[in-house]
Amino acid sequence: MIVGEQKPFDEIWEMVKGHRQLTVFGCNTCVAVCHQGGNKEAEILASLLRMRAVQEEVTIEVVHGGIERQCEHPFFESAQEQLVASEAVLSLACGIGVQFVAGKYPSTPVYPALNTTFLGDVPADGLFTEKCQACGDCVLGVTGGVCPVSRCCKRLFNGPCGGSANGKCEISKEIDCAWQLVVDRLEALGKLDDYEKIAPIKDWSKDRAGGPRSFKLEGF
Amino acid sequence: MVTDKSATQVAESVEAPRETPVGWQPNIIAFACHYCAFAAADLAGVMRLSYPTSVKVVRLPCTGKLDHVYLLRAFERGVDGVFAAG
Repeated sequence: MIVGEQKPFDEIWEMVKGHRQLTVFGCNTCVAVCHQGGNKEAEILASLLRMRAVQEEVTIEVVHGGIERQCEHPFFESAQEQLVASEAVLSLACGIGVQFVAGKYPSTPVYPALNTTFLGDVPADGLFTEKCQACGDCVLGVTGGVCPVSRCCKRLFNGPCGGSANGKCEISKEIDCAWQLVVDRLEALGKLDDYEKIAPIKDWSKDRAGGPRSFKLEGF
Repeated sequence: MVTDKSATQVAESVEAPRETPVGWQPNIIAFACHYCAFAAADLAGVMRLSYPTSVKVVRLPCTGKLDHVYLLRAFERGVDGVFAAG
């Protein structure tokens, strides 16, 4: 899922304080799992903004709302009326949702309340870790299910490098060496021979180097 | 003399306390669990114990029902303090 972190409150306030009316708009799927951008967080943020407005003696009507996903048209039906009537929208979605709202309401200013951080999993309650960079050319089948693009700090395809020590990366003792994990996993699978194979140069044109990506289903 | 710069900065950022008017009492909202704290408040009533009228008790089925937003709404509406008991 997409993980995001709420921006510092002062930064959010600076973005929106000039408006007279604002809709704080949650996105109740990915960023709700990490308790940063769901409809509940939208309600909390709206309340904090109202209190800040009172403290600073600014007149601003702050309301809250939200939908299940801000990246698809059908979900907007229930909030259409509210958004059309809004002077500005503070979106708690990831960068995708913010852009989608901005594109859908061309004359309404839309502000991001979150910093979209990474594509990750939830290995333990309250912990989110990066696991994919959407490089467009998955190699997990030959690396024992450990992604060298997102988990090796150097994105090496024939690792490890000399900075690997005791299973940890030289960047930080908190970060596992991805290639140590690859080797351990291949050993467990009895596929250590695969480790000896040299990976060819990766085709980065399928990553961001090829520009913004899209794909279209046939028949639509 | 060695000064702790970060401590100084924190001290400067704290809001200056305002003078408290004579006779002022804080408005307190108490969220109480039906099964324990609210029952205790009930018992206190039976025992004819008294508490200031500026304390308002809201009964919840459980303090697990207490949500961030309840607290924030209370502060938005001007309470000075929230008391959660359960």
